[in-house]
Amino acid sequence: MHIPDGYLSPETCAVMYVVATPFWITAGRRVKRVVTSRYVPLIAIGAAYCFLVMMFNVPIPNGTTAHAAGAVLIACLLGPWAAVIAMSTALLIQALFFGDGGVLAFAANCVNMAVLMPFAGYAVYRLITRPASLTSPRRALAAGIGGYVGLNVSALAAAIEFGLQPSLFRSADGTPLYAPFGLAQTIPTMMLAHLFIAGVVEGVLTAGVITYLQRANQPLLQLNDDSARRGEAPVPSPRRVGFRWAVVGLAGMALLTPVGLIAPGTAFGEEAPEHLDLTKHHLDAVPSGLRHYAGFFHNALFDGYGFADDEHPVVGYLVSAMVGLVAIALVVMVSFKVVRLVQRARAGTREHLVGVAP
Amino acid sequence: VSDTRTPEWLLTPEAGLCPCGRIGTRRRRSFVDKTISGVSNVMRQVLRADDVAARDGVLQRIDPRIKLVSVAGALIAVALVHHAVVMVVLYAAAVTLAALSAIPVWFFVKRVWLFIPIFTGIVVLPATLNVITDGEIVIPLGTWFGHEIGVTRQGLHMAALIVTRVAVSVSLVVLLTLTTSWTRLLASLRSLFVPRLFILVLGMTYRYVFHLLDAVDEMHVARKARTVSATANNAAGRRFVAASAGALFGKSQALAEEVHQAMTSRGWNGDARTMNTMRLVPRDVTFLAVCVVACSITLVVDRGLGK
Repeated sequence: MHIPDGYLSPETCAVMYVVATPFWITAGRRVKRVVTSRYVPLIAIGAAYCFLVMMFNVPIPNGTTAHAAGAVLIACLLGPWAAVIAMSTALLIQALFFGDGGVLAFAANCVNMAVLMPFAGYAVYRLITRPASLTSPRRALAAGIGGYVGLNVSALAAAIEFGLQPSLFRSADGTPLYAPFGLAQTIPTMMLAHLFIAGVVEGVLTAGVITYLQRANQPLLQLNDDSARRGEAPVPSPRRVGFRWAVVGLAGMALLTPVGLIAPGTAFGEEAPEHLDLTKHHLDAVPSGLRHYAGFFHNALFDGYGFADDEHPVVGYLVSAMVGLVAIALVVMVSFKVVRLVQRARAGTREHLVGVAP
Repeated sequence: VSDTRTPEWLLTPEAGLCPCGRIGTRRRRSFVDKTISGVSNVMRQVLRADDVAARDGVLQRIDPRIKLVSVAGALIAVALVHHAVVMVVLYAAAVTLAALSAIPVWFFVKRVWLFIPIFTGIVVLPATLNVITDGEIVIPLGTWFGHEIGVTRQGLHMAALIVTRVAVSVSLVVLLTLTTSWTRLLASLRSLFVPRLFILVLGMTYRYVFHLLDAVDEMHVARKARTVSATANNAAGRRFVAASAGALFGKSQALAEEVHQAMTSRGWNGDARTMNTMRLVPRDVTFLAVCVVACSITLVVDRGLGK
């Protein structure tokens, strides 16, 4: 999923730097303010760990292997903001030193794998795991689902970035200047591979590591677990539980929507291109691309086969569903954090890593 | 080349690492073998990069900050170029620079072109068909349910443009990283307004990657040494991978704790300092000027060739 230079237009790369910068700044500030100086080596070595997790080959049933990205794992263990810095660092080393992922596309890769992936995965993890005890199987399951969701959100973001290129950037004779495939091709291709293989591998590895730590090294699971740290079991209100499960259900449904793309003709929906306005809220640089949009899809892969007219509503729906979902996840995360910060400020405690026994 | 500090035998992959095709019957490499060869591959790349950065060449003599800024600018210029012909000229320029910087040309070309067919060629090839890229068909490939299928002129132009653009971009980054030692590159990131905290984290990460890489290698070699049967047990394999990733996290955390104690005992108070001894000389300014002029000429020529 590491996007090399050359696939994305410089305009898109610039927008991605603008999107990523506030996350980097916030993550840096939080690490500085909230955290004691001991966190610096922890994050540095966490980044080294991120880099190495991507090297672990996981055997999969057809006799080949696949590797995981590990961002959700880091988010579960160290918290999502630490994951932003650790993953960005690992991605920068990969881009600069090993030619894995581009330098201009670095911010795009960071938005996909160092911001969206840990936050989406961690939101799911927290939603499912909140009242669970440290050793409950539900925690491992939550981490697994978090890894699965996180990787798929990240893959979808990459597919959207690729897919927008041909509709936004073409030369006068219609030659695509950057990545040539449109949304109707990139989203099904990326999502099929990630929904059925890569996401499962990510989920299995994330759940497996958490299971191992539950068995072998529980203090590590407490690094980022407030409730365990304070020695109190949180009692969530019933209303909150309902809301949580609703979001989990929504996440599942949203992730399953691309499956509908396999079955032609089942699409339903009318006001297609307007839905995609939502994606432009990431990429609002070139409004003229919007004009191209409707016309563009009629030239899509399936044009001759009779269901091109029904195609874009699915994509539009999917995109808006996912963007909405990520927005909800972020809002939930931010409000959790704000509430916690307020509580913490009231309690007047700034001690964060109590209970870390090496 | 004889002026490497790393002995040549360290840089050539061992036959024993790859049982497929070389010795005995051909079989699929297990996940253990793949991870071990991945680890040794990273080590080999780093050793080679260190060797090249220590040689005496044109790019090695330039201030790393200037190199960083020039590469960033050149990448943007490359991303804005719309003609494959211009890209080919730029690629020739990159290869010339590599030759002037004591980088073995064959190694430089191989490093870029081994990677491109896999990630770019396969992805871009289907897009040359008129089902993806509409346009005038130059190589008809028959019909499909009454629709004509073929390779279009626009598709070929697009494929050439993207493949060459990726090649030039990767070459530029490889030029930068092969001719600059990591510590100097890190120090130069300061000049691009990257906060100290990030630089500190980056530097420490790079330092400890190799330490942890050793741990990964040891775990996998131990597993390989204990494995007798050739038949794969995927479930056990996955358990092993998850457990070793978990154990590695434990090791990382313990290491972080020790490093923190060591830093504290040496007077670390959470503030990062860098020893900034880099100074610009006229050669650096000239190089930057040449880069700016070259990028501008490239863009002017590219626009001159038409939209």
